[in-house]
Order: sequence, then C-alpha cells, then structure tokens
Amino acid sequence: MSVIAAAAIGCRAAPPASQAVESVSGEVTAADRVAAGAPTRGGELTVNVRAEPQSFTWYTRRDGTTQLLSLLTQGKLVRVNRATEELEPWLAESWTRSSDGLRYTLKLRPGVTFADGRPFTADDVVFSFAAAYDRGSVLADSLQVKGARLVVTALDPASVEIAFPSPFGPGVRLLDNLPILPRHKLQGALDAGTFGDAWGLSTPVSAVTGLGPFVLSAYVPGQRIVLTRNERYFRSDAAGIRLPYLERIIVEIVPEQDAQILRLLAGQSDMPAFEVRPEDYAPLKRAADAGSVQLFDLGPGLDADGFWINLKPGAFDGDPRADWIQRDELRQAISMAVDRRLFADTVFLGAATPVFGPVTPANKKWYSAEVPQVEHDVDGAKALLATIGLVDRNGDRLLEDRRGNLARLTLLTQKGQTALERGAATIRDELHALGVTMDVVMLDGNALVQRFLSGRNYDAVYFRFGATDTDPALSPDFWLSGGSSHVWNLAQKSPATEWEQRIDAAMARHTTALDEKARHRAFVEAQTIFAEHAPVVYFAAPRVYVAAASRVVNLTPAVLRPQLLWSADTIAVAHQERPR
Amino acid sequence: MIRYLVRRLFFALFLVFAVSSSSLILTRLAPGDFVVETLGVGVSRDVAEQARIRYGLDQPIATQYGRWLLQAARFDFGRSLAYDRPVADLVPERAFNTALLALSALLLATLVGLPLGVVTGTRGGLATSVIRAASVVLVSMPPLLTSLLLVFAAARTGWLPIGGMRSVTSDGALLDLVRHMIVPVLALALPIGAMFERLQAQAMRQAVSQPFVIATRARGVSRRRIIWRDALKVGLRPIASVYGLVIGTLLSGSFAVEIVTAWPGLGRLMLDALRARDVYLVAACAAAGSIFLAAGTLLSDAALVAVDPRFSE
Repeated sequence: MSVIAAAAIGCRAAPPASQAVESVSGEVTAADRVAAGAPTRGGELTVNVRAEPQSFTWYTRRDGTTQLLSLLTQGKLVRVNRATEELEPWLAESWTRSSDGLRYTLKLRPGVTFADGRPFTADDVVFSFAAAYDRGSVLADSLQVKGARLVVTALDPASVEIAFPSPFGPGVRLLDNLPILPRHKLQGALDAGTFGDAWGLSTPVSAVTGLGPFVLSAYVPGQRIVLTRNERYFRSDAAGIRLPYLERIIVEIVPEQDAQILRLLAGQSDMPAFEVRPEDYAPLKRAADAGSVQLFDLGPGLDADGFWINLKPGAFDGDPRADWIQRDELRQAISMAVDRRLFADTVFLGAATPVFGPVTPANKKWYSAEVPQVEHDVDGAKALLATIGLVDRNGDRLLEDRRGNLARLTLLTQKGQTALERGAATIRDELHALGVTMDVVMLDGNALVQRFLSGRNYDAVYFRFGATDTDPALSPDFWLSGGSSHVWNLAQKSPATEWEQRIDAAMARHTTALDEKARHRAFVEAQTIFAEHAPVVYFAAPRVYVAAASRVVNLTPAVLRPQLLWSADTIAVAHQERPR
Repeated sequence: MIRYLVRRLFFALFLVFAVSSSSLILTRLAPGDFVVETLGVGVSRDVAEQARIRYGLDQPIATQYGRWLLQAARFDFGRSLAYDRPVADLVPERAFNTALLALSALLLATLVGLPLGVVTGTRGGLATSVIRAASVVLVSMPPLLTSLLLVFAAARTGWLPIGGMRSVTSDGALLDLVRHMIVPVLALALPIGAMFERLQAQAMRQAVSQPFVIATRARGVSRRRIIWRDALKVGLRPIASVYGLVIGTLLSGSFAVEIVTAWPGLGRLMLDALRARDVYLVAACAAAGSIFLAAGTLLSDAALVAVDPRFSE
C-alpha cells in the first residue's frame, strides 16, 4: 500500500492517522495529549498553491485549487482512503447492494449538519445528483455508467437508494467524486438554470456552506483563501476529540514553484499543496537532514507522461507519410528504441521508474506483471521499421520511406513544463539514433490541448494526464473508444479498429463484473491488447515527493493529489510558533 | 504647451483603444479557449459546448468584439470568465498594486540613482569606481534575476517576507505592507537606479565641461553650487527623456517580479488571464498597461518641456 511505501526521509516520520491516541478513562487534557505525542486541536497551517481557484465548487470547474477547496469544505457519501485505497463510510455510514448488483441502499449518518446549522438529509443527496447532471455541471460524465445516469431516490430522510443502469464493479466507489451540496442554498440556482454560475468567485464566502472539515472565511483575490474549522463537522478521533484538529488553513497563492520551496525552507509556509519537482529534492533533503522539513518519497506516481501519434482516420489524407505514420509498427519501434532507464535518469534526474503502460507500479491493485513489457532493442526497432518500408536508402543514417521521403514527424509538447520539455528532447535524440527525424514544437498548455482535442493538424504529442482514481473502471473516458480522453482518436462513434473493439469489450467486462478476480482478468486482457498496439507509449513514471514543515504532524501521505491534504481533518501542528 | 499635451492625450486614448482591441482579438484568435483551460481533457463534447455557450465563446469573433465595443462605450468592459467578476472591479484593484510597486521603485531609483550619478559624474576616486562597477552589474541583471536573488536572500536571512502583499494577521497595517514591498521594490528599483546613475553620470560629465559652467566657475561661484544648481538642470535632460520608457520597463519588469514575489498586481493578473484565454480580462489588463505607458510618456514629455522649453515648440 502506498502509505507503507511512503518513507519520511531524514526526519522523523509523522505517526499515521490510524495510530490516533486511544481512548482512556477519565479526563484527558490537551497537555496529556501533547505529552503522549498525540495530535491536539488548534494552530494553523499555511499551504501554497500555484493558481487561483476558479470556483468555490467542484461541480463547475476542474482545476487543482478548486478541487482542494472542495475537499476541505465539502463532504462525500463515501471516501476512498488515498493511503489504503479502501472505500470508507463517510456521510453514508453503511450501504447494502441488491442481489442483482443494480441497486445500493445507503444509510446516512444521523445528526450531521451543514456548517450553517441546517440538517443534512437524503434530499441533499438527491439534489446533489440533480445538480451533477445539470447542464452547468462538469461532473455528469463521471457519474454515468455505460453512458446512462444513476437514479437516486430518497427512501426516507436518512436513507437513499441509488439505482445503476447495469452492474458496476466499483459500486459506490463512484461516489467519492461527488461532494454533497446543500439543497437549501442552491436549489434556487438549479431551478433558475443558473447552477453553472453558482458559487463563483464573486459569491460572498459566507454564502458557501458544506459538510467538510473547514469553512471558507476569506478570499483575497491574488493572495489567499482562509478556511476556518467547521465547528459542526461530524467526525471525531478515537479519543472523542472533535475534528478537524486545525483551527485554520491559509491557502496562499504563490505562482512560482521556486518561491514555494523557499517559503517552506524559510519557515514561512508549511507545505506546497501538491508534489514537489525532482530538482527540489536536493535542497529539501538538506533541510530534512537538518530537521526543519519532512520529505516524503511516495515511490513512483500513478501518472506517466505519454507519447502518442494521431490515429484519427483520415488525419493524414494526402500526406506522403500516410502509408506508415499510423502503423502499429512505428509506435512499437519507438517504444523499443527508447532506453527507459536512460529516460528516467535524464528526464527525471533518476527519480523515476521505467513503465510500459498507463498503469504504473504505484497502482498496487491494478498493476499487473502479466502485461507484456518491451525490451530496449534498437536493432529490433530498425527491423520493425523496415517491415513498413522505412529504411536508410541513401546511407545518410536517416530512414526514408518507399518513395524516398524522410521518416520525419513533429512532436508537440507543453512549454514551461521541464519534465515534458526534457522528455520530448530525449525522445527526439533516441529516435535520431534510430534514423527517425523528430522536430519538437512546444506550445502553451491551452493551445496544445486544443490541438489534440481537435484531432487535426498534429503528428504526435507528448503530454501527461493526472489520475483521479486508481480503479480503471472510473477512467472509461481513456480506455473506451468513445471516451473523451481516448486521446489518439477521441470520441469515436464506433471503434475504429478491431483491437479497440476488443479493448472496449474487455473493459465492459471489467466494469460490469462484480467479482474482483473476473475484473482483474478482464483488465489484464485490456492492458495486454493495449501493450500490443501501443496507442500511447509510456517511458517512465516520476517518483512523487511531498514536503511539509516538521511542525506538521499526523500526516498520511498518498500518491493521489492532494497527497497530504486529502486527510486534512486529521492533520495537526505541533504547538510551536512558526518562524515568520 | 497645452496644445502639445492635448495632442499627446488624444494619442494616448487611441493607444488604449488599439491595444485593448487587438489584445481581445488576438487572444480570441489564439489556439485554445477558456473552456479548454478550465475543463481540460476528459469532458464530453456536450459539456464543453454547453460551457462555451454559457461563456459566449460560441459566438463568432466579430460578434463578440462588436458587443464588447458597444458595452465598452457604456464603460462596461465585460466580465472576467475566470474570476466571475466585472473586469472594471478587478483591474483597478490590481493596477493600484502594480502602480504602488512601480511608483515606489521609481521614486527609490530616482532618489538614489540621480544623486549618485551627479557624484560619480563629477568626481573621481575609489567610491566612484565602486559605484560605477556596482551599477554596471545591476544594469545587466534583469529584474527576474534580481528578484530571485533577493527572494533567496530573504529566505536565508528570514528578515523579510518572501512573497505576498500582506500577512494574514496584519489587518492592513502599513508596516506590514512596507515589509512585503521591500523585496519587489528593490528588485525593480535596483536596475533602474543603476541605469539612472549611469545616464546621469554621463550627462553630468558633459554638462560640467560646457562653456557656461566654466564661465560661471570663473566668476567665482562655488563648484558645489554650479553642479547642483546649474549643471544638474542641463544634465537632467537625458533622464527626463527616458522616464516614459522607464515606466514601460517597470510595468514589463514587474510582470516577472510579481510572479516571483507573489505580488497581486496587474502583470500577474494578465499572465493568468492570457493563460486562461480570459478575453475580456486580457483586454482590460492591456488597456490598463497602455494607460500606464501613455501616462508615463506624457509625464516624460512634460518633464522634458519643464527642463528644456524648446521641446514644446
């Protein structure tokens, strides 16, 4: 499990949340808890993010800061424990599944109230689903199974029934993506058709309420968001102390990553909200050795940068390269030609693990050693390219096709992302040794995404997508041919190739099977087909490092973002003044 | 003189109109849009199209521009897509922050650079050599590098806040604001102060060798009085002529400094707006920037006229 793999480097490891202080009879004072090394209430945490939030609700925007605020201020029915990957009861204290696997009955936790004091009931759950399926929401896609919506019914104020259109392997794990909204605050906007604009940044923070551990108390554009403890939060620790421990979280907007690290090192912040870069490792390690910072190596990440070629049918009509550019052999040869160890060392300064598919070893449950891996073999790659007519015809060490045209393509990547820039340069150099000429063009993120979403005017892309869950059934947009993240040929009406059809079928079995072993078999099959045809080629998954000031305790790091703040309600600070 | 300034004022208005219009059009023409930025990859086309309709990005560029022009004529410059606020509320607040930084830096650079230039332009010795060498180093350093070095120094010493504009607990205290301003103001002021020193030193060297200075000296007027009263007035001309450009430089320089020091100014707002393709906000930021530039140029022209009336002719 990720949390076990996580190691605090150079400094004492924070006790995991599961080791919360045990209940004892009699009065336990804060001083006793401090003496016992247990977290106590109080104190504030300063967190750095790079960008402003785009909204106060995750329903309408998908940026990292909005997600973080949603996590801190809203509650969910169930929670995926990022450290153990297990599903935990949250606002729903229990659930049962019908024998046909189509209906789940969830019993809601009694006595829970929103931060403004209004009780949480089944009506809020029904309302939240209605809001998620509204035109103004961006959550609708992630709450569908086989393209159909879930049907939610309030059985009584304390229980709901959720009907799935077909059996769904992950079951209610899907609900980890759905923050529960207060019906009494937002029903009007939903009825008026303005839900898409609700809880925008111009909303007074006092109007935003939720079931999360914190409430918004101030937003200063360009500077910070201040969150204070939700005194009505429903959770307590094992000793009965009401959570969250922290009095206040200050989210400071610091766009420059170097400045974020300097602030951490100078004691002016407690943590960057997300992972640090490989180049930040050395100064943080020194600080960790000196005891001022905790540095966690969480092992390889869940995401790897991917390389793909435009496989949209007709994308190269009239192009002299049309005979070979979309052939499987080209991608397979590229996969063989790149030395993944060298790639990891060059691009990620050694802090990466070679990978061969979209599922990295960080995904303990779904990573499989049965999936074929590609050996580094330049000669083998040349032989493969020869089968599609790409050989050196004039002795210049560069490959030409049957018509004598140079084997040349343009690789697009994102400007300003050092890992992507270095990765693209390494691919270019490795392919040059193979005889394939690659021109690297860097675009800003927005332009790059727009280019490949259009499916036109590009040869190849090198880019990274962030995982939101480890269960592959919750990423149908990537795996299924009709998916909106099926990047090499987006949103197909019907599978363009026979092998994509087979992946669709395997993923359908994986998604609908209720038996874990059957799900696993189906997913190995999907990954094997993927590996054979290599629509996206992966080279290395960077290791994930996160850092926090040493005064922050009770951290439970996990590889999924936000690596530390996913369990913000149990984070505490040692009661010492932070140097200013 | 007034006619001259009125002419310059009309030019400034045209500049603001042209810059904001072209910013809006170019941002709209650039690949990608606000929906791509905010929703990214992984949402269905239906969801993306709904969002485009909501933000008015489904309209042809001519329609969008025409509508914006009509609104702008009524002083409604549109609503920021990212901040969900009228840009007319957002931009002045950030422009004030940038102006605070820029004017403080300009004041500091002027108060330090000019006198030092007078001294190094009229005297020799070790102090002059040291000042000159330091100026050459500072002039060659871009504000980005200066700010990184200063931020690093602030982090190592712990004497100053590394970024931001105010502490959470400050409640608007002036001292807290001043402490936060030190790093960004120095980052901006040091290269400009050094440039002023170099320009002023050069101008003073030429001024003190002019015949009227020699004649005045021959009449027995003290050297100090000649330098600070007569030669300085002549020597101010080069500085006055670059003041407008310096204000432009300050604004573009503050772009990088604001990012490094997390200063919530216009440069950072514009960069965020450009990245997000927040068209109306980009246009408003560009307009504010051009107002600064036009004001700087006007100020520069007025200063030139003040030190040398021949410029008004």
